[in-house]
Amino acid sequence: MSLVYDVNTKQIQLPEASDDMAMNIAQINKLTQDLIAESNPNFTPKPRDDSTAMIKKLFENGLKQTKQQHFPEALKSISLAIEMAQRKRTPWEAFAIQLQELQFMVKNRIDLCLIQGKFMDALQDIELLQNTGVNTSDVFIRKTDALIKLKQYELAKVECERGLSLDPTNVKLKALLLENTRKLAEYNGDI
Amino acid sequence: MPLSYDYDESSETWPFFLLTLLCVVLIPLTIAQLYALLKSENSEKATRQKSPLDELDERYTSAKMIDFQKKFSNKRSKLTSKRTIFVVVGWAIVALLVNKIGGNEAIKEAASSLFDPYELLGIATSATEKEVKSAYRKLSVKFHPDKLSKDLTEQQRLDMEEQYVLITKAYKALTDELTRENFLRYGHPDGPQATSHGIALPKFLVNSSGSPLVIISYIAMLGFILPFFVSRWWSRTQSFTKKGIHVKSASYFADRLFNFKPSQVVTVDMIIKWLSHAEEFKIFYPNLTPSVFESLLHDHLNRSSSSDLEDVKLRIVAKTHSLLFGLLDIATSFRNLEITNVTLDTFKSIVQATPSGPYSQILQLPNVNQKAFLEGAVDDIRTLGKLFTFDDKKIGKILGIDDEGKLKDTLTVASQIPHLKIVRAEFKVPGEPVVTPSSTPHIVLKVMVRSARHKFFTPNKIPDEMCSEPQDFDSLRDPFASTLEQPVIPETFAPYFPVKRTGSWCCIVVLQKDGKVIQTPMITNRLSFVNLSKDFDKRKVKDVDSEFDPKEWEVGTIKIPFSQPAPPQKGDYFFRVIVKNTDYFGADLDITMPMSVRDPPHIETLENEYGDINSEDEEDTEFEEDSNDELDDDDSDYTDIDTDTDVDEEDEKQ
Amino acid sequence: MSFNGTNFNETFGGETESTVEMKSVSFYTPLIYVSVLVISLITFASHYRKKTIKELTELPSIFDESDARDLYFQLKQMKELDNVKVHDKVIKAALLNRGAEAIRRSLKLKESEPQITLLYKNGSVGEDYWKRYQNEVKLVDLEFKETLQEAEMMQPGWAQLFVAVCKEICFNQALKRRYQAELARKEIFTEQWHLKFDDNGKLIE
Repeated sequence: MSLVYDVNTKQIQLPEASDDMAMNIAQINKLTQDLIAESNPNFTPKPRDDSTAMIKKLFENGLKQTKQQHFPEALKSISLAIEMAQRKRTPWEAFAIQLQELQFMVKNRIDLCLIQGKFMDALQDIELLQNTGVNTSDVFIRKTDALIKLKQYELAKVECERGLSLDPTNVKLKALLLENTRKLAEYNGDI
Repeated sequence: MPLSYDYDESSETWPFFLLTLLCVVLIPLTIAQLYALLKSENSEKATRQKSPLDELDERYTSAKMIDFQKKFSNKRSKLTSKRTIFVVVGWAIVALLVNKIGGNEAIKEAASSLFDPYELLGIATSATEKEVKSAYRKLSVKFHPDKLSKDLTEQQRLDMEEQYVLITKAYKALTDELTRENFLRYGHPDGPQATSHGIALPKFLVNSSGSPLVIISYIAMLGFILPFFVSRWWSRTQSFTKKGIHVKSASYFADRLFNFKPSQVVTVDMIIKWLSHAEEFKIFYPNLTPSVFESLLHDHLNRSSSSDLEDVKLRIVAKTHSLLFGLLDIATSFRNLEITNVTLDTFKSIVQATPSGPYSQILQLPNVNQKAFLEGAVDDIRTLGKLFTFDDKKIGKILGIDDEGKLKDTLTVASQIPHLKIVRAEFKVPGEPVVTPSSTPHIVLKVMVRSARHKFFTPNKIPDEMCSEPQDFDSLRDPFASTLEQPVIPETFAPYFPVKRTGSWCCIVVLQKDGKVIQTPMITNRLSFVNLSKDFDKRKVKDVDSEFDPKEWEVGTIKIPFSQPAPPQKGDYFFRVIVKNTDYFGADLDITMPMSVRDPPHIETLENEYGDINSEDEEDTEFEEDSNDELDDDDSDYTDIDTDTDVDEEDEKQ
Repeated sequence: MSFNGTNFNETFGGETESTVEMKSVSFYTPLIYVSVLVISLITFASHYRKKTIKELTELPSIFDESDARDLYFQLKQMKELDNVKVHDKVIKAALLNRGAEAIRRSLKLKESEPQITLLYKNGSVGEDYWKRYQNEVKLVDLEFKETLQEAEMMQPGWAQLFVAVCKEICFNQALKRRYQAELARKEIFTEQWHLKFDDNGKLIE
């Protein structure tokens, strides 16, 4: 292993590293960067207010543009806000805060993607929400919708049924189930 | 007096010893061999259903494959196996020994010195006491020393005297209490005879030249041969898991599953990569590396030839069957649904030698011109059901098949692939009408096996009577016995798979709350395929209601045992049941079903009874009823929250 | 008992023989035998114990890699032995990364425990895997303790805060990994489902 250390940037590098090794190196580099910017040796998980302010500003910009029906620009603003959060936040700032922040912004991004027909992007964001523990019905509604639009009717059925099992009285899910069943019947040549 | 040990100088005892030893081994072995010989053609093959695909499979199997099957199948003829030879040789030795015993004078002498009172008195063994007495009187008259004639020699006189004594003894042995006891206990009226202890070894082994040989053979047996066989057996048992895969393969799969990152997407390629590291492959071919195995498996999926590694490829493909089941077992134990699903997809891919993708249902059919199909398609046809909405000629065009005969074959295969349609699904507790808290339910699925060619009909067209279960005592005791009455499914149409096989359905149960698998899969291969030959063609049937007669259709049953008891709280719990076929694309079933846990009904009737008691107790009874109602209401209001905490706690514990 | 030296009754005569042979055996024979036996058993036992310990240490880890730990030691070595001017904060970063990884591993082992126990009890997995798992639990525990010690050495009194901070880092790193995997997932699904997208991410029919 021939680890390369750059004295000026204080970053480490390893040519031809495996995926896991590259991941660890990137993580160390990010920590180094943030540690250098942090003057307090006894730093705590308390989230930094200046980062919060910056991210919030970008996000609210996006919300404003959404209200004005400027969807592509809104999407750009919100994506920017998310990127800013990923870049500015240090790994040691409270996880609960960072998670909530990300989930909230991603929820908005999903709706914007769906409106603009970017179904695969929306689907990935939805799966991110699900993997991080968001199991509310509106997530299932959006996922079923995205999957139907992507013509994955069997997967859509699975998601819809799961959504209904967690919220049996949801009207929208029931409607989606009916629509999906019809599309599935056509897919299977049963009409 | 010290007992002396005699060696078997006159070959009296060792033949018996050897004979006993041989018989103990030979008799059960012979019975087992005969039984196996006669039984080899029966049982499963008798109950397996015939299918039009059997003949097609024969035809489409390539010559190379048939050669391979001949080379590697278990062709040990029962008649020439080692066991049979051993049995035959053993019996030959037995015959020799019997002969030897028969010809051995010393044994005969020893046998003849047995005391037989009946013989001495000259009467049958079933003689009465009267007959015994009369026989004795007659003979004693003849042999009494005082009654003997004078002109006998000294020797003859002595012989007569001996005879007389014997006769007296014989009489006494049959009548006198004490003597009879002696006779019964020791075989001789005079009491215990001389007993000699001997070692049943022939003379030549005990001689000074032979004895070191005996000692060495004992040492070899106890010190080397026995430990060798025991340790070999032990290490063999230790190296395979209960599922039949090598322990190292199982460890490898467990490693992959443990280190699996949730952000990764599972693909068939990934599973194939894992399979290529199996220890079984390494044992078969120690010189080849996993990447070679991986490329061979990919070759198999793409139906491309592997030149000189063709036999290797076929052998490892045949082995994937047990490896995939082992992986399935480990994946479900790790509760990973994505890997479980993709493993089953990989299974199908390997059996049909078709890569997994949106068009696999069509591409698994024989004679399909892949290029023509993928490029020429006007409608996006991905399922067999959709394919059958077109008439036969059009199908030929879509699939790029020009030849009439080939088209017919393809259509036969396509219409014989079993599709499952759910008719009824419920959780059942034997003996109870509802699922009660903390009971042991199992899942009962009523399915309709239908062809892609058949017109769709809704499950409510099947009346309840056709879906009912027998309620007799036997079915309560063992609810799963009734599923075994269904016939074994026919052989799979898989001309590219090296071994003839019957597929199966794997039933996986998932908890909808957390989306994870809750138990290891239940494998079943018993369903009737009678429906597949019915002609309910969707292109011909115009009106389902009038033309559909449910009585002509067979309803199949799948019963899945449930590994956990029902939750102790009342409420509705949702489970997803996935029934995936291992051999065909499109033959799967995926449903969500609720488990409604309710109070047992007789509690409700008790409440009614209480309500009927006279008005004096009305206050009390009202109070009781009210409080019961309140509890019920409480439960139903807070059921969701209760269930959440229950399952959450389980999650936290895990 | 018999009065003529015989123990049994006979009808017609009989012969008795009694020849007792005496064999002379040296006094030392049993001692030699016992000592040979005991010595061979002792040597076998010690040999076997050594072999099992060697096997245990050579067992591969349950985890695929130990990169976080390796990187920390490499950087430390670079700083102390190879005289590369590695900044202190880089070492600190590597230590934090190592701590976060140790926490991730112990959580992962804990959450897999019922599943691996089930596998072992069902016989789906061999003795070797179970041994490796039990080994790993101990090793991960040890690793975390070592990391704490290093933290304490680096900055006295930091240990408690170090643990809290490492926990946050562990979870945040996991979230970031999951977020960054989105692009790769998009590509895989697009290929699997035979979809085509234009530059804007809109579906092309």
